[in-house]
Amino acid sequence: MPAGIFAILASFTSPETIRMNPQSMLWMLPLAAAIAVIYKAIKVSKIVPLRFIRETALLFGSIILFIIAAAVMLCLVAYLATE
Amino acid sequence: MSEGSNENNYLRLGIIAAIGWLVPGGGYWLLGEYKRSIIVFCTIILTFCIGIYVGSIGVIDPVQAKPWFAAQMLNSPLVAILGETTKSGEYLSYGRPNEIGQLYTSISGLLNLLCIINSVYLGHTRKIRNSGD
Repeated sequence: MPAGIFAILASFTSPETIRMNPQSMLWMLPLAAAIAVIYKAIKVSKIVPLRFIRETALLFGSIILFIIAAAVMLCLVAYLATE
Repeated sequence: MSEGSNENNYLRLGIIAAIGWLVPGGGYWLLGEYKRSIIVFCTIILTFCIGIYVGSIGVIDPVQAKPWFAAQMLNSPLVAILGETTKSGEYLSYGRPNEIGQLYTSISGLLNLLCIINSVYLGHTRKIRNSGD
């Protein structure tokens, strides 16, 4: 079993091509989802599938909204500072 | 609680932490929290795999990126085997893919640390509740 897992992992030997463009920001989505899932898995006392999914989705949405708000604020500050 | 009972409890908590480190979510499994365990296992393994898919196994670099490697080691001690493979510098990763790969693999390690701490806490509070202290 570990040999099989390591064989699969060892096949991941060349990096993906990720350009410096706005689309690359989408890579934050899976990470935010992972954080939301783990946080909720730790936080809830009993895991009920539907409630768990709803609460995780809500947290995921909150994280994304906050990041967007922070990005807009930073863009605004950069615009005001450079204009 | 007697001294012997305390020692047993520390040993039990140590085992929960060690299993939780060896296999993400393993600590919860020992406590009978199977759903939680499966969720944690899948999420952490998937996040880690996305990281090494994006940046290649070169993102696990125990020579040039020691702080990142420390966080990556929190996923499982098995990461050290990957570290041994990449130590030679054969698998290079630079730029954006390297950054994203390191972020994913390190954050999954830190999330696993959170789960280890939580499973130990859960085991401890259950022991207290059961013993009535």
